[in-house]
Amino acid sequence: MRNLRRTSQGVFLLGFIFLFLQTESKGADDLGYPVKLFLDFDPLILISSFLSSHSVQKAFYLSLIVIIMTVLLGRVFCGWICPLGTLNNIMSSISKKSRRHVSLKWSKSKYYILIFFIISSLFSLQITGIMDPVSLLIRSFSLSIYPLFNYATRAMFDTIYNTGPSSLVDVSESVYSGLKQTVLSFKQPYFYQSVFTGLIFISILGLNFYERRFWCRNLCPLGALLGLLSRYAILTRSVSEGCNECGACAEVCQGHASPDVKNEWKKAECMYCWNCDDICPNNAVILGVGKNSSSYSTGSNTNAGINLGRRGLVTSIMSGVVIVPLIRSTPFLNAGASAPDLIRPPGALPEKEFLKRCIKCGECMKVCITNGLQPTLMEAGLEGIWSPVLVPRLGYCEYRCTLCGQVCPTGAIQTLSIEKKIDVKIGLAMIDKGRCLPYAHATPCIVCEEVCPTSKKAVWLQKAAVKNRRGDEIIVQQPRVDLKLCIGCGICEAKCPVKNRPAIYVTSTGESRSLDNRLLLNQ
Amino acid sequence: MDRREFIKKAGIAGIGLSVPTSLHSIVHASDDVNKTSIVVATGESPSKITRAAVEAIGGIKRFVSKGDVVVIKPNIGWDRLPEQAANTNPEVVAAVVKLCMDAGAKKVRVFDRTVNEARRCYHQSGIADAVKKAGGDIRHIDNRKFRTIPINGKALKEWPIYSEIIDADKVINIPIAKHHGLAKLTMSMKNWMGVMGGSRDRIHQKLDQSLVDLSMAIKPTLTILDAIRILTGNGPQGGSLDDVKKMNTVIAGIDQVAIDSYGATLFGMKGEDLGYVRLADRAGLGTMDLTKIEIIKLSL
Repeated sequence: MRNLRRTSQGVFLLGFIFLFLQTESKGADDLGYPVKLFLDFDPLILISSFLSSHSVQKAFYLSLIVIIMTVLLGRVFCGWICPLGTLNNIMSSISKKSRRHVSLKWSKSKYYILIFFIISSLFSLQITGIMDPVSLLIRSFSLSIYPLFNYATRAMFDTIYNTGPSSLVDVSESVYSGLKQTVLSFKQPYFYQSVFTGLIFISILGLNFYERRFWCRNLCPLGALLGLLSRYAILTRSVSEGCNECGACAEVCQGHASPDVKNEWKKAECMYCWNCDDICPNNAVILGVGKNSSSYSTGSNTNAGINLGRRGLVTSIMSGVVIVPLIRSTPFLNAGASAPDLIRPPGALPEKEFLKRCIKCGECMKVCITNGLQPTLMEAGLEGIWSPVLVPRLGYCEYRCTLCGQVCPTGAIQTLSIEKKIDVKIGLAMIDKGRCLPYAHATPCIVCEEVCPTSKKAVWLQKAAVKNRRGDEIIVQQPRVDLKLCIGCGICEAKCPVKNRPAIYVTSTGESRSLDNRLLLNQ
Repeated sequence: MDRREFIKKAGIAGIGLSVPTSLHSIVHASDDVNKTSIVVATGESPSKITRAAVEAIGGIKRFVSKGDVVVIKPNIGWDRLPEQAANTNPEVVAAVVKLCMDAGAKKVRVFDRTVNEARRCYHQSGIADAVKKAGGDIRHIDNRKFRTIPINGKALKEWPIYSEIIDADKVINIPIAKHHGLAKLTMSMKNWMGVMGGSRDRIHQKLDQSLVDLSMAIKPTLTILDAIRILTGNGPQGGSLDDVKKMNTVIAGIDQVAIDSYGATLFGMKGEDLGYVRLADRAGLGTMDLTKIEIIKLSL
């Protein structure tokens, strides 16, 4: 059974990685694969988005399959499918120490965490994605692990290319070109907070050295949800008379399911890894459908795992309630006070609605073709941590690209057609005349006008006679911005030859999604 | 003297005024078509008129020999569709790739350092697919392959240039004729911006002279100006079909200056209206005066 389980885990992990790698444009208008599929199957996101935003994306109904599966079969998702669970599993296998069980009490934490998230989303706060395993994994891969992998691989091949003998370079370059077409990204991705999100992820993996599958046992809110759903699962475990409580199964149990104590098996903590069955020297473990009549343990207390205690329950509920006004008492949500750099991707809902839906999974940042979409830290308040913001200096919004809306699992960024997208203002460009070459330095430059993608161009040129230091009159073309036409894509800022603090730059003012933050009278 | 040798020599000696004579040397002695002829071919099928134009200027074998590594440089700068006339027509590019392959070229490389996102430009322009089908080798720019070479011009002293164009045996320039806010029109000479590395946006400060310097350093074996559709406004990337004018024309020749000078007439301008054409003529890169060149017109 172990091999079958490992095969299933491997298939789903590879499937996850495959879809992750496909979350990258090849130049067409769509990606060709349902890259957000794992998120669609995630019932925690279904429930929390429904509570926070009172809306559900159609694709999320797929997660009903996981719910039904769990109701019938228990937490098989954790043991057989979840890609983060599989990674934790692999890490645990590496560590000998992880065989110990630290404390059963810890396993309650995940239920408190789940309650905290559910209650806060009931009051419209969507921060579940911070700890939802699928969202966390995609975010960590996108912002940190994949950039790290790319950087290391590229650095290695570049070193060989620049210093190696030509015979070696020929070989390494053909390998490199093969990797570029399969597992490497088109160009090196860079993200703010790659270190921060990376350290969190590495810590989660590292916890497996402290205790086997520490995250899955003690912290994972999806695991907790599935644990609750497994209450009446018909796939159950029992032990026959042959069991002499030798404890061999407790050594290999992936969860906190107490398989070694008769009548104490905790269904909600069992990930159905089948390890106990495989290892039992007396072949006394029976995993099967329905109450096994030959079972030694009739009346087994299958709910032993979920006894949260009043104090803990009240604390987690109260935390979920209090966090909402606490996190929201910030001026960020007022248009006038919002960070000027908070340029949301095209199709993003008005900020309050946007935050109710965004689960910070990082799909949009992974797919952004110019690498311009970056995770926020505090620019959108703590509530909006790791939500997407366009940083035009790093990458502008490509005029005819609509991918971020296509991959957003929750509709925080709406899917737009190209025709609609090119009418959406995400901000407006304005000129810093003190730094602009034709304005301040009597030097010709038209780059912002040249690259302006609207037709007709939002950046237009006005001829002006300016004098240089010698007093010679020079005719230059000075750029002006037509605010009616400008959509704030930021290519002018990205391509402005005045680097680091460009002479033309976009802020969120004028964004069409916000009624408060619009600028023109007739917009 | 082949291209590689030329660039080496230019580097060692400094080009200066010796360039025009050096340029003459690439034209084979046996040429029966005058250097200052251009062919203007008009017709419904882009690939047919392209092939006819090349034939009329002496045939592809005049320019490409067996075993040559050929670089074809179209304009793939923008994330636009073929009908928006911001990139070179894919059928024209494919026709030239095919001609080179048929002439026995060892490899036909096609690339451009794009302005918009490269994957989108290559795909949406239709050029990547067309080149692949025609048997060419289309790849994205590899940032490690820029090599700083001496330009020794008046505006550009040296610049990182894509090494594949430096190392190629033959270079064919296939620009598209478009409006441009500063240069007024972008055609053959401005197309070389697509092989520049580094912060090429800076050359707009002395654009006309920079383009001449660049065109002096990179000499194409053959130039084919795509005027199947021309972009008359909001260039160089356009977007609106209102700015696109269907001309069903390609112009082929060896003299980049003559071609750009003729190209200007498609927009109701003259060669001397364009600063870089004037400067190039003065520097001896080619002939701006259309009365001094032979214009072979073909209609298919």
